[in-house]
Parts: sequence; C-alpha cells; structure tokens
Amino acid sequence: MSTDLEQSFVSQLKTNQNIIHKICRLYASGDDAHKDLFQEITIQLWKAFPKFRGDSKFSTWAYRVALNTAITLYRKKTRSIQTVGYEKQEFFISQEDYNYEEEEQLKLMYKAVYQLNDIEKALIFMYLEDKDYTEISETLGISEVNARVKMNRIKGKLKKILNP
Amino acid sequence: MEELDLLKKNWQKDTHLSNQFSENDIYGMLHKKSSSIVKWIFIISLIEFGIGFLLSFLMSFTKTNEENMALLKKMGIYEINFVTSIFLYAVVFYFIIRFYKMYRNISTDKNTKDLIDSILKTRKVVKQYIGFNLSAIAFIIIVFGSYSFSVGYEMLANKNGDLNPDIPIHLMLIGILVMTLIAAIITLIGWYIYKLLYGILLKRLNKNYEELKKLDF
Repeated sequence: MSTDLEQSFVSQLKTNQNIIHKICRLYASGDDAHKDLFQEITIQLWKAFPKFRGDSKFSTWAYRVALNTAITLYRKKTRSIQTVGYEKQEFFISQEDYNYEEEEQLKLMYKAVYQLNDIEKALIFMYLEDKDYTEISETLGISEVNARVKMNRIKGKLKKILNP
Repeated sequence: MEELDLLKKNWQKDTHLSNQFSENDIYGMLHKKSSSIVKWIFIISLIEFGIGFLLSFLMSFTKTNEENMALLKKMGIYEINFVTSIFLYAVVFYFIIRFYKMYRNISTDKNTKDLIDSILKTRKVVKQYIGFNLSAIAFIIIVFGSYSFSVGYEMLANKNGDLNPDIPIHLMLIGILVMTLIAAIITLIGWYIYKLLYGILLKRLNKNYEELKKLDF
C-alpha cells in the first residue's frame, strides 16, 4: 500500500540512515530519546521530500533537514541528562584496532562534545563530517568568516573542558 | 587539536552503527504524528483563533438572540455593536491569512537561521493577534460595561419615579474605575497564561536563535 515516492524515500533513507543516527547521538541521550528524534527527523524529511529535486545528494539534503529538526523543531520529551549519552558511544570504536588509551581519550572527547550547546554541536558535526566552511555557513545561515571564528572558539572550549 | 583529529578519524571510520532501522521501521515512522514545536504552535494558534471567533460570535449575538438585540436597540448601541462585530471578524480573518502565509513559509530545508526566523515570525503574528484580542476585550469591558452601568442606573431611577436622572459624577467615575480594574485583571491573567505557554514552548528555540545572532552581528 505504498506509493513509488514512499518507496524511493524509504530505500534512500535506509541507505543513508547512519548520518541521521550520528545526529541523534549528538542531540538525544538514551535509546528512547534517540528513537524519538530519529522518528521526528524521518517525519520532517518525508514532509520535505517532495521538494527534494536531487540537486544535491540525498545525504547532504537529509543531514541539513535533520540538523534543523534537532536544533529547532524537536521538543525533548524529558529533561536530558547529558552524561547518559556518551557512555553509549563506545561502539563507535571499531574492534580491530582497539587501543585502551585511545578509547579513554575518545570517551573524554565525546563527553566534552556533549557539553556544547545545540549550535556548537551542529558545527562540530559538520566538521567531523568533513564539510567545508562554505557548506557550514550555508547550512547555519551565518557568514563563512564567522563560521571559522566560531569553530576556533569551539576548539578552544573543548580544550578547556578537557584540561580544566 | 589532537583529540579532535582522533575523534574525526574515529567518526568517519564508523560506518556500521548499531540499532539500524529496517525499511519496515521507517515505513512505520512515516505515518506517525509529528510532535515538533511548529506543530504545537499550529495547534495552539488554531485554538486561539477558535476562541477569537467564538468571541466575535458572542459579540455579534444580534441574530441569535432577539432579546439581546432588543436590549441593544433599547440601549441605542445596536449599530455600534454591529460595526464592532464586523470589524472583529475582519481582523480575525486578516490574522488567520497572515498566520497561514507565515506557517507555509516554515520549511526545514532552509538554513537554520532563516528557519528559526520564520518560526518566530509566525509566532509573532499569533502574539499580535492575542494582544489585539486582549485589548479588544479590555476595551469592550470598559466602554460597554460603563455604558451599561449608566443605562442600568437610569432604568433604576426611572422605576423609582425619577424620569430624568443625572448620574452623580463620582458614581460614574467609580463605575468606570471598576470596569477598568476588571478589564486589567482579565487582560493580565490572559497575557500571563499566554506568556507562560509560549515561554515553555520556545525556550530552546529562542536560546539557539540568540546564539546564531550572536555569531553574526
């Protein structure tokens, strides 16, 4: 009972769901909140899908809508406890090259990232996804120069959190 | 920053995340109801417009209640009431159109700043509408209330045999004062409830908007 549009959307989202999961991990803590945010993003993506013309890649379009949803539209159902989420990040570390010291460092890093505010998280997300400053500034609607300045400030902030 | 590089390396390597959703899961999600704040603003606004309509309707009870119409005619404010009702309907209609246009303008594929901007502008329309409604209510209470007070006084005086009574000025002032007080209390309560509602709803949005504005001055 599904239309072609639905089918095309679902299969593309399924293939590209990792990028949405990554955003959910940054903005939602705990399994329930994660699923909740994922669902809201899916609804918003589906609503916006008829306007998606394929000028950009599905993943690029999707992460923008997803970030917007996380930053502006999403209502947290419960007060988030910021420290719960980062423990879940352990599976980010692949098993093959397990390194205790690195893992500890990563854990601390995730914990630090969790302390950033919503906008800072968005910048970090795009930085981690290797987006250039033109794309970062276009996505957030700020100037490129200010995006650079802000990114440097975030790095400073993270440093401060790691080495108080 | 060394740690950030490590995180980046790890972040990008990560291609097989756990709890993946199947196509069926995603199908299920498509048909769930959104619980976004835009949706909430929309629902709350509809309720507010509904109340506005109800108010206009109650104010224009000309056709629905013969007795009231007769009373209004007797009081000599039938025409005023009629004009006020049409004016109220027109204003409500105007706000609904503006709200709808703004609401349609909210789209998640804009940049974040523009998106928040369009949400806040939509809310502003509702805010103006509420402000208008509350002032209208206050105005109606004061003017019609005071007028009814003086008419009531005259009717009572007529009954007592005084066919051409003069309301003592201090009594009239007290009447106006009481009506103003009632109007002020109702308006304040209404405004407070409204602020509280949107304050909770938009706290995070406002915070993020401020953050973005701070970045781009």
